[in-house]
Amino acid sequence: MFSSTMIPPFSPVLLGGLAARGLSPKILQPALRHAMKTIFQRHPDLFERLGHMGAPVYLIDPIDLPLAFVLYADVHNPDIEAVRSAEGVNACATIRGPLLSLLRLLEGRIDGDALFFSRELVIEGDTEAVLALRNTVDGVEVDVMEEILTAFSANLPRPLSAPMSAPVRLVARLGQGLFARAADDLSILHSALTAPLQRRVDAQAAQLDALKGEPARAPSKPRAKANQRTVREGREGAQV
Amino acid sequence: MSALLELVCPAGTPASLHGAVENGADAVYLGFRDETNARNFPGLNFSRPELEDGLLFAHDRGCQVFLAVNTFPEAGNPGPWHKAIDDAAALGVDCVILADIGLLNYAATHHPDLRRHLSVQASASNPDSINFYVDAFGVKRVVLPRVLSIPEIADLNKQIAVETEVFVFGGLCVMAEGRCQLSSYATGQSPNINGVCSPASHVRYEEDAGNMVSKLGDFTINAFGEGEPAGYPTLCKGRFVTAGKASYLFEEPTSLNAASMLPELAKAGVTALKIEGRQRGRAYVSQVVAAFRRAADAVEAGEAVPELGLENITEGQAKTSGAFNKSWR
Repeated sequence: MFSSTMIPPFSPVLLGGLAARGLSPKILQPALRHAMKTIFQRHPDLFERLGHMGAPVYLIDPIDLPLAFVLYADVHNPDIEAVRSAEGVNACATIRGPLLSLLRLLEGRIDGDALFFSRELVIEGDTEAVLALRNTVDGVEVDVMEEILTAFSANLPRPLSAPMSAPVRLVARLGQGLFARAADDLSILHSALTAPLQRRVDAQAAQLDALKGEPARAPSKPRAKANQRTVREGREGAQV
Repeated sequence: MSALLELVCPAGTPASLHGAVENGADAVYLGFRDETNARNFPGLNFSRPELEDGLLFAHDRGCQVFLAVNTFPEAGNPGPWHKAIDDAAALGVDCVILADIGLLNYAATHHPDLRRHLSVQASASNPDSINFYVDAFGVKRVVLPRVLSIPEIADLNKQIAVETEVFVFGGLCVMAEGRCQLSSYATGQSPNINGVCSPASHVRYEEDAGNMVSKLGDFTINAFGEGEPAGYPTLCKGRFVTAGKASYLFEEPTSLNAASMLPELAKAGVTALKIEGRQRGRAYVSQVVAAFRRAADAVEAGEAVPELGLENITEGQAKTSGAFNKSWR
């Protein structure tokens, strides 16, 4: 959700999320539920590894979208729901990060610990439940695009499903390519816009490092006296 | 085992096993989904049917499967550990990795044809200790504790008649494997008996004035500033304040990476290279195994070890050569 304290990456997802800010998450609900049903049909043991935890509920929060997802990880009847805010959601844990990172995590294309080490992923709440979900999802070889395409093809009228499958996959691959290119372009644009600021920050950091080294080289007594005087003067000033 | 340096790779799930095998593992090591192995994490490890499928998958592709039964049985309750060894033999794993002398004796007595490797958890680091395990229990390979330099390993290999396996990549412990009580002290659970170090059930992450604070039980382990790379929430990787200064008292969050040392390890007589990380995802396993396959093949061909580019997946996004190069001496 945009309300997160994490700063979202400048990406097509963020722009799309901003554009769709006015839309209700309920619009997504039928597609989401259908996707979850399809994935569960293809992977009936999806949440089997969570069996010892009952039916934990997770809040999955893509920081670059104006909504979040509530995952009901019931072994027998899993469900997912899109929500505008976390208010009223009784989740055991929250997993927060950019949408694309969360998707890559779901597909096992990126390591959860690596995301965590790099601070791209933030977790809150029951750490054991998060770890169990991470291991569960990682153990099931889900291909999100393939799941969506399969669900799409399955929903076409029978005479169309076979002949349409190849063109739909071609369009999807082209779409993925365009998306990746847009992401790269935005990344370049972001770097160009922030370069002057970054140079200034780097210069200030270098100055700060130099200043940190200074007290060790400078005579300590006069500086201490000067500092004391400044503090005293400040206090006296405050009393006045 | 025709390779000059055999690559022994981790698998916490069937998907990771597939990733390891497809990326060039010579052997995969894994554990059952219980306290009989030292990575007893929630949602991780193999059921018996999953191991059966994994064995088929790996053997069809010429890859071996090792089963870690490397925790120490709870007093008065050896049943789960004995069953793990019995099932390993029945399912046809290529070896069991054991640490406890009682279990070594059980395996040698009940399943003499089941190959036995000595786990790093046994912490056997000198010829007397290793030769005892070989003579008493017919151990065929020893996984060396991460306390030895390369010259020490070379010297050791001259004095023992058994294969040696060394860790070359992944998380590091504080070099007291099988004997560390830090997790037990903080949480009541240890890797030695419960199979879990710093159990996730006792870990909390909290935001505090822009810092991410990690806690284990009642202990604050670390506070990572904005953008600072994070590490695991274990006491040994904790940053504590002493004499008014926060520092890593035991060790910094960093990963072992001995890729550049593979030629020296081969010369030192090492048989197998172990990659740590059964708790990591299949993306990590696939990436690290593929990289070390390239490295091991380069060594075999007499070529220089290539750059592996694994920095982004290491703990703390930093690497060390650990005890292989004891630069502090």
